[in-house]
Amino acid sequence: MTDETAPTVEPAETAPAAPLVEEDLLVEDVSIDGMCGVY
Amino acid sequence: MAPTGFDLESHWTLHPQVAVRPEPFGALLYHFGTRRLSFLKDPRLLEVVRGLSDAPNARAACTAAGVGEPDLPRFAAALATLADTHMLEAS
Repeated sequence: MTDETAPTVEPAETAPAAPLVEEDLLVEDVSIDGMCGVY
Repeated sequence: MAPTGFDLESHWTLHPQVAVRPEPFGALLYHFGTRRLSFLKDPRLLEVVRGLSDAPNARAACTAAGVGEPDLPRFAAALATLADTHMLEAS
């Protein structure tokens, strides 16, 4: 009989699932101030 | 800018200085007073915005545009953004 024991396999640590898809915004707004000269 | 809460039970209208241009992706709103552009990225949101003045409240405008209960929070957030940028005004 030996003291050796079978190595235990630790379950791989799982990172908390990050959201794969960012929230789809229905509205985006921009200001056209400062765009003089662009058009 | 994080949108504030939006009262779906109130009556809202498009600001009189806002022009609406339908686009394949939804619509463009331009406010002649603030010189801001808003991109509406869902055709149903355009229908909601167009229906606001005739509907008794914003919730009814969403329902009439085919926005189901699961999508209502997203549309309320979008309307809150439009209200924060003065595209919409409570009446």
